[in-house]
Amino acid sequence: MVKFNKYVEIGPGAPIMAGAEAGMLKVVNKYPNVIAVLEDTGALAIDWFKKNAPNRIVECGIAEANAAVVAAGLAAEGFRPFILGFTFATVGRAYNQIRQSILVDHFNVKMVGREMWGEMGISHNVVEGIGSLRVLPNLVVINAADVVESEKAFVAMADYIGPVFFRMESQLPYKIFTADYPFEIGKAYAIKDGNDATIIATGYMVSEAIKAIDILEKDKLDVGIINMGTLKPLDEDAIIDAAKKTGAIVTAEAGSIIGGLGEGVGAILAENVSASLVRVGIEDEFSQSARITPAKDELMILHGLTAENIALSVKECISKRDKLKLHRK
Amino acid sequence: MEHSPELIKELEEKVLVVRKNILRIFEGSHQGHCGGTMSLTEIVTALYFHHLKLDPGNCDWPDRDRVVLSKAHAAESIYAVLPEIGYVTRETLDKYYAYQSQFQGHADRWCTPGIDYSGGSLGQGLSFSAGMALAEKIKSDMNPPDLHILPVNMPRLIRKDNPAYRVFCIVGDGELHEGQNWEAAMLAGKYQLDNLILIVDYNKFCIDGPVEKIMPLAPLDEKFRAFGWWVKEIDGHNFNEILDVLDLANNLYGDGKPKCIIAHTVKGHGIPIWEKSHAHVGRADCLDLALKEGKDLYGQI
Repeated sequence: MVKFNKYVEIGPGAPIMAGAEAGMLKVVNKYPNVIAVLEDTGALAIDWFKKNAPNRIVECGIAEANAAVVAAGLAAEGFRPFILGFTFATVGRAYNQIRQSILVDHFNVKMVGREMWGEMGISHNVVEGIGSLRVLPNLVVINAADVVESEKAFVAMADYIGPVFFRMESQLPYKIFTADYPFEIGKAYAIKDGNDATIIATGYMVSEAIKAIDILEKDKLDVGIINMGTLKPLDEDAIIDAAKKTGAIVTAEAGSIIGGLGEGVGAILAENVSASLVRVGIEDEFSQSARITPAKDELMILHGLTAENIALSVKECISKRDKLKLHRK
Repeated sequence: MEHSPELIKELEEKVLVVRKNILRIFEGSHQGHCGGTMSLTEIVTALYFHHLKLDPGNCDWPDRDRVVLSKAHAAESIYAVLPEIGYVTRETLDKYYAYQSQFQGHADRWCTPGIDYSGGSLGQGLSFSAGMALAEKIKSDMNPPDLHILPVNMPRLIRKDNPAYRVFCIVGDGELHEGQNWEAAMLAGKYQLDNLILIVDYNKFCIDGPVEKIMPLAPLDEKFRAFGWWVKEIDGHNFNEILDVLDLANNLYGDGKPKCIIAHTVKGHGIPIWEKSHAHVGRADCLDLALKEGKDLYGQI
């Protein structure tokens, strides 16, 4: 029986959007200046808006560059706009607009990017999202691991004053957290402690990391999991502490290993502590279509975004650590 | 509409001050976007010294009219006005491009009092202005206490009373090559942003040559009309025409149409060598000559 930390209670997964919807409902009631800026992709809490505040929806149509800057203009006048769209378009089609018109003046714009894995194909399967956003100054990047964290993070994002990007992966395998889980921007959370190695995972891959524990326990390996709910700023203390404790760090993210969580963790390790690192993520390539189940697993196997690959990587990481004598207890 | 000769005379005196301030800015920096700055001088003068609702003592007054300079490379034209209305000191004119200066290379909301938008990446100012104009509409729509029982699907956008503020957006003609302008034009038409006034500085030249050769814009008026805008063409260096069209746009408020003023201008206006060369950037080689011409024409700067 795997022993998890406080606030963790694994259950069947729910669409992360359900959490975001619940979060949005809290937020629209809490802040009358929340306004939905849409790109023809549907709104979170659309029924609430239609019934209660139709004038708090700005529908920009399929024009993401315009939507980003209209949101900036609204924020300049005191609104708290939430742009809701798909990452490839909301970010990819408006990258310079986000930089110039939102981030430069630190406008209070929240961007929610849905990311589809599988059915939508190469256009919608965003591999570059995390890397392209982490490099931008003034931006907070959040990536929730389950429906509960999604709801909490949504509220935290609205409370925070400044630009935030919320990465909304479509379907997450597990519900991980209890209702009283405290989410804080910039703080990682240790889901499980372990002495042999630490998996630092984000979003979808947290579920796979939890599955990987079952495999690793059969090999008598005591491995910890840290959920990195905020990809920028990264929780440096949590990373350094984990590396000091186990000396073997495996990062796991459903995105390119270039510029993503793995690189961020790697840089912090290299500057602070001697440890072995293995990055699980998508190699330098694009993706393709796959049906949701069971063929979606084929896509995840193709990219190595699986519990099995995490488990293998943990073992590789431990043997590298021991071979190179990277860690002293 | 008639404007008093005194007003016209006063603005003609002011524009000389503005032009001299611009030359002083260039003298300090030895470089600047002279062409598109000089083509804007009369428009900016008419706005800041007569037409805009602003409080010289308080650049953050919530009800001030907004000015979004989308062609932010022409920031010098507004920089030249700011000391005259007390937003910055006169010495700031000598610190254009300088480290930690209030006068950054491109218009910057964070650094400069009186600048509402940080631009430099062209084609985004109209979207920003539309967001600001929409915010004014939505805020005034949110105020009625019976909001929740209003049987509306969209904000009640058309009102006859005056808006809290108007948004003036200034774009360059070459900048209209950016497709995002037309996304914003569509949105402004849809949301009936009659509190938004777009001024096109139609000086006919890009860096690489005449606008109509690089990427034709004509018929520009018909393009905006097709997007649901009210359009009027003027001579952008004639104060009578500028004041007329601004008043007209004001008086038409409530018609549910965003306003587009196409101002025909001359790149480098007021300095012969810049007018002749259609100079975009005044570089050191011709700057000295231009400054000399300026001093001969307008007196010591």
